[in-house]
Amino acid sequence: MSVQPHVPEVENESIEDRLYTVTYEDPGDSHLDVAIPGICAEKCVTYDCVSVCPADVWRKGEDGVPNIAYENCLECGSCRWACQHGNVEWEYPETGAGVTYKNG
Amino acid sequence: MNDATIDRTDRETATPEYDDAFDAIVVGAGLAGSAAAVTMADRGLDVLLIERGRFPGAKNVFGGVLYTPTLRELVDIDAAPLERYIGERRFGMLTDDDETAVSISPGEWHDPPHNDSYTVLRGEFDEWFAEQAVEAGATLVTRTTVTGLLREGDRIVGVETDRPDGAIRAPYVVLAEGGNSLVSEGADLKDRERRENIAVGVKEVLEFPDSDEAIEQRFRLSGEAGAAYHYFGEGAVGDAFGGGFVYTNEDTVSVGLAYRLSDAATSQPDPEATLNAFKTHPAVSPLLRGARTVEYTAKTIPEGGPDSIPELVHDGAVIVGDAAGLVLNNGIHLEGTNMAVESGYHAGEAVADAAGTGRTDAAALEAYREDLEDSFVVENLERYEWLIERVQNDRELLFEDLPEAVADAGHEYFKMDRAPKERHAAAAKEQLLEAVGGYTGAAKLAFRYRNLI
Repeated sequence: MSVQPHVPEVENESIEDRLYTVTYEDPGDSHLDVAIPGICAEKCVTYDCVSVCPADVWRKGEDGVPNIAYENCLECGSCRWACQHGNVEWEYPETGAGVTYKNG
Repeated sequence: MNDATIDRTDRETATPEYDDAFDAIVVGAGLAGSAAAVTMADRGLDVLLIERGRFPGAKNVFGGVLYTPTLRELVDIDAAPLERYIGERRFGMLTDDDETAVSISPGEWHDPPHNDSYTVLRGEFDEWFAEQAVEAGATLVTRTTVTGLLREGDRIVGVETDRPDGAIRAPYVVLAEGGNSLVSEGADLKDRERRENIAVGVKEVLEFPDSDEAIEQRFRLSGEAGAAYHYFGEGAVGDAFGGGFVYTNEDTVSVGLAYRLSDAATSQPDPEATLNAFKTHPAVSPLLRGARTVEYTAKTIPEGGPDSIPELVHDGAVIVGDAAGLVLNNGIHLEGTNMAVESGYHAGEAVADAAGTGRTDAAALEAYREDLEDSFVVENLERYEWLIERVQNDRELLFEDLPEAVADAGHEYFKMDRAPKERHAAAAKEQLLEAVGGYTGAAKLAFRYRNLI
């Protein structure tokens, strides 16, 4: 028998490369926001929006309020349910903007 | 992300003349919405199908297997863009480095209609399905987002859209907006679901640029046959409640996983990191080596079961598909597409019947709720409610301890050394019994899951 690695190499692309695989049209404004920044800064200690996001949209901000890279958004909606303070404002990007999947 | 390049369906935008021009408006051209649109158009109603994406399917994601028993009654699926039929199902229990699997491949699945189970890509399929609604007489508008509902008193009388002068009035509205139901919630037709009842799913479609034969060879396929591999346990989704999958498309595979949002928020790493770990598991990576990512997608799945179904019927409106929480995930069965189509069909029939009487009140649409409750959709959700609850309570045993014990027992049972087999068999049995808490524990476990058989 020839020597084979037990686990063959599987390449996991970076989140940037993964997001590059989907078509995106910038709606101009963010379709995501926090309702009351003070809640993030003062009440939230878990940052569940950051923990659940599959697309690196939600990032911990220095002032305790998350930075929102809305142009990464895959529109799954996870952050909306994850936030225990109900502090995520979520709208559908309008007129066909946002993510477009070819395969889905 | 790259710039906008696709515009397969550059249709006319919504204009004010749509106001009062239709019998029914369908919000969302996914499976439930197009099923409702086809059904109502076939019954002679003037239907407006509104899709927020650039084309139907542009915003839609699912695991990968479409179930077609109701769909085939509505449209000619022989002409549909299907990828492969499911000829094999495999259920693999993964620890961090073991796999114990069961595979079934009944001969019947290779004969039409292939147990009504096919892999599809939603970007293609949903566009095709919406085209069937258009051929039946419905009007489709894309790139148009419904932002709210129009009301007269309690009655819903149309939709508000993001188009200039975007209010469109119609006697009936079918809400098929998906699980992230901003319109239904905004109009107080539905409560916001708890995060314990929502799963987050991520998926990659992968291609094999260096090999034309990779899919056929690795999954032992020929012709149009395909495979659905399901995975559970620590190696799939860590300590979360959920599972992973690999499905074969014609020239690509869909690899992904889903688990509860509450787990993603707490103990389990984020979905992308969990996907990376699953793809590199020793039992999974040989299937995927050399693959390149064609597309990365994410979605949420309503898994609240029968208790999470909102009030389905309102004055002037009905709720269908994922928006109505119609997804079954009991571990063995992962179904949503068939329930979406079934609900869209019953809703469409109920609206058409009501339109015949000229009534728009909830009582006139009640047949939708009744027919759905009498159908497999609600019956299955109710039948497996107890199972999902128990599996959640027993998750550590079922997804961590037991898979570990089964793998260890298997290793022990088949061990090659100079000890007699009887000794290995006894040791293997001991390991299994220990995991479930002895004979008493085994009996209790069997009792808890007796309704499975």
